[in-house]
This record gives sequence, C-alpha cells and structure tokens, in this order.
Amino acid sequence: MASSAAYLDADENLEAIISHIEQKSRKIETLLKQSKPVEALKTALEGSPLKTRDERCKSANWIVVHRAMMAIRDVDGMFNSLDPEYYDILMKYLYRGLSTGDRPTCDQCLKIHEKLTEKAGLGCILRSLADTVNTV
Amino acid sequence: MAATAAVAIHQFAECITCHAWSPDQSMIAFCPNNNEVHIYKLFTDKWEKLHVLAKHDQIVSGIDWSRSSNKIVTVSHDRNSYVWTQEGSDWVPTLVILKLNRAALCVQWSPKENKFAVGSGAKSVCICYYEQENNWWISKVIRKRHESSVTSLAWHPNNIYLATTSTDGKCRVFSTFIKGVDTRGSQSSTATDSKFGEQIAQLDLSSTWAFGVRWSASGKTLAYAGHNSMIYFVDEVELAPAAQNLALRDLPLRDVLFVSESVAIGVGFDCNPMIFAADDTGLWSFVRFLDERKATPSTSKASQLSEALGKLYGQSKGTSSDTVEPSKPRGGAHENCITCIVPLTKGRDGTIKRFSTSGLDGKIVVWDLENHITMAK
Repeated sequence: MASSAAYLDADENLEAIISHIEQKSRKIETLLKQSKPVEALKTALEGSPLKTRDERCKSANWIVVHRAMMAIRDVDGMFNSLDPEYYDILMKYLYRGLSTGDRPTCDQCLKIHEKLTEKAGLGCILRSLADTVNTV
Repeated sequence: MAATAAVAIHQFAECITCHAWSPDQSMIAFCPNNNEVHIYKLFTDKWEKLHVLAKHDQIVSGIDWSRSSNKIVTVSHDRNSYVWTQEGSDWVPTLVILKLNRAALCVQWSPKENKFAVGSGAKSVCICYYEQENNWWISKVIRKRHESSVTSLAWHPNNIYLATTSTDGKCRVFSTFIKGVDTRGSQSSTATDSKFGEQIAQLDLSSTWAFGVRWSASGKTLAYAGHNSMIYFVDEVELAPAAQNLALRDLPLRDVLFVSESVAIGVGFDCNPMIFAADDTGLWSFVRFLDERKATPSTSKASQLSEALGKLYGQSKGTSSDTVEPSKPRGGAHENCITCIVPLTKGRDGTIKRFSTSGLDGKIVVWDLENHITMAK
C-alpha cells in the first residue's frame, strides 16, 4: 500500500467515513434481525476509523460496535467464528467500553474480555494499551 | 523427555543490568544494578569475585568485552564511558569523553573492534575510535534523526552500518564510516561510499518503544522488538526493506539474538526465551518457549487477570481467594524480566549453540541449544 498522509483530516474524507459507518449500521440492524450477532460484530469492526483523529467518526463507529457487541449472548460461541485478525481491534473497543462505566456495557465487556484474553493472550492487551497512534 | 535447555543458572546479585563474557569465557563481567562492574571467574566449580571496576558514579547500563583485543567498554547513566585494559592483574580505565548531557544507555564494540558505539538518552549515538597519536578515544556524534532515547545498537558485519532502536518507536540504520579508521577498499560498495552519520534506512513499524535490534550473521536480516508485543524481521534493509510483523501472544521482548540465518531467540518480560524460526520461503513464526515450565493448570494468567478485574467491578467469580497474586514464581530458570542476551559458543556450521541471558532477578543463565532446536538447512 502506498504511503499516504496518515491522518485524513480533509472534510470530504470525514464525510465519507461517516456515511460508511451509517451504511454499516444499517447492515448490522439487518444481521441482528436475522439473529447473526457475530456477523454483525465483524461488520462493525471492519473498516474502523483508526487513523483519523476526528472524535465524531470514532464515536460514531463505537456506537455501531457497541450495538453489535451488546447483542451477543453466547460469548464462547462467538469465538468459534471470530477470526484472529479481529482480536486486536476488538480488544481496543472492549477497553473503550470499560471506560464508559455503564453497568450493562461493562458487564458485557468483562465477559468478552475474559474469553478474548484466553484466546489472544496478554500480547493483545499490550497492543491495545501501547498503540497510541491507531486509537478507537 | 529432553533435558532442560538451561545448563547453568547462577544467582550473582539481586538484579543485573547487563553482562558480558571474557574471550575465553572463563570470566563474566556484569553490573549488579549499581555503579560497579563485577568480574567473576569460574574456579573448578565455584564462581569467585575477581575484580570490581568502580569508576562510574551511576548505574552501568552497558558492558561489552571485545573478543580479540580483550578490552572492556562500559557506559553509565553518569554520561561517561570507560575502556578498560588488562595490565597484569589489574584493569586500567581510560575515560572516553562522550560529551553527553544525558545518560548513556547501551554500548557495542564493532566487529573489527576498532570502534564502539554508544546509544544515549540525549537522542544521539556516539561512535568512538582510537587515535594512535594521542593515545585516546575520540567520539563522533550522530545527533540527527533520533527523536528520543536510543535503547539498543547493532553493528552490521561490514563494520560500517549501525542499526539503532529508539523510544520514538523507529529502527534506523546509519553509516559510521570514518576516514582513517575504515578503508574504502578497491571495490566500491554502498557502505564504503557512504558518509558518516548518513541515514541508510528508517523503519517505522512500531508506534511504541523499540528495543533489542540485531543483525543476522550475514547482515541480510534485521530484527527488533516493539513494546507492543511485536517482533519485526526485515530483509534487505538497505535496498528494498521487506518487513514481517509478528504479533506475540504474550508479553513484550527486550532483546533478540540470531542463532542462525533462520532461527532467532527473543527474551523479555515472559522470563522465558522465545524461539522464532523462518521456513524455506523466509516466513518467520513463533515456534515455542525454550524453557520447560512446571505446569500450573489452575492459575493461568488469564484467569488471574479476570479474577482481579472481577473484584474491581464487584463481580464474584467461582473460587475467590482473599489475595490475588499477580506474579507467582513460574518455576522456570529466570524469575523476572530477561533484559540481556549474549552469544557464547558457535558450532562448526556457524550457528550459535550456547548463549547466556541476564535479568532483573539477578541471575545469569547459560542455555544450550543442542537437542533443542533442529536447524533446518
């Protein structure tokens, strides 16, 4: 991939990101109605705006990820179909969830965190803590 | 069941910052986390303290012992460096003026031992060479490029290229060509045509602190560790860098050693050396931990962590104990972070058969790879 500006601060790019997130949101609602919460979570995690510094985009994506995450009932089953490439980004969102302090969110995040740590190891936690460039 | 790879474990101090071996490996020099360097010699079966080199005012952060010229170079947080020469039964220090205004953090003799490099907290690297006429060591400083402390150094086998890692997350390769010290030679190569301080390459793979840079014996591959539990293997750094980013399952590494062109050992906060190997296509992957541990099935790190988190958020987990101990002794050779790995003996095929590690637990462990690694050729 050619190296380009790391941060997309041009207005049109932000609008593109937001509309992409809105698209994702619609797809996620559909998937949840079809009782496919894991697919919904994957959709939410894909294409997350890590590089941008714009808080609106990050919050918008968090809302979408949160919606999908809270819909998951079977955490163990989720990991059977969640590919390892999603582990690092999921861990970052778990910490964002834990930082909200909201009881139901934290309960869910802790449940997933325990299983994710077993699956991905402490290295996954470290990458979410240490990476101050690609933040959620 | 194969014998354990750790063939010797010596508890020398409470904590060791760095260590180096004498050319014949009969003596070991290390800093016991203070301003001194202790030299121990093995007499039959017991290690005896032979010398104490006490010239520095603060912690000695780096020691290197040259193989051919038998000189010890030490650097310290006191911003100084000494080159120690053995005269009779004494070690005589020569102060090397580095002109640093921050701590010196690491030091390495060059392959030809006519230069040594010092990385510092002043965001600079000092290349020191010996001037025969005035009988002293002169320091030439590479001040540009680094945006933060230089944590480790590694010399390329051509004695000119030096790789550095920094807490700015980047790994860089510089030329240290010095007129009068390095020769241009009849065949012009990029290395001998380069100027002192010229940046050959910059690798921006980690957004976190970088440590433990090392070249493979041929200089073809470069490896370094990121504090985000990653290890990076880079081929052809000079011409067309091709990097592999390996995400580690566990805690970050602090130092790396190439055992052969396709096997490397990483050491760090897991207190257990990690073996990495490249397959025929050059793809690197984690193989296993070197040290066999007594298994503690009931207290995995993950369940300890979630127990602790559960207490934080007021949830009650299955078996709750009153105290959660995050760091139980894990039954391996090292009990705390390994910070330094040094090669010892090479086999006839050029690969390293033995190496030693030292760490914050004050132990120096010698490891033997015979029967533990099958070298794919």
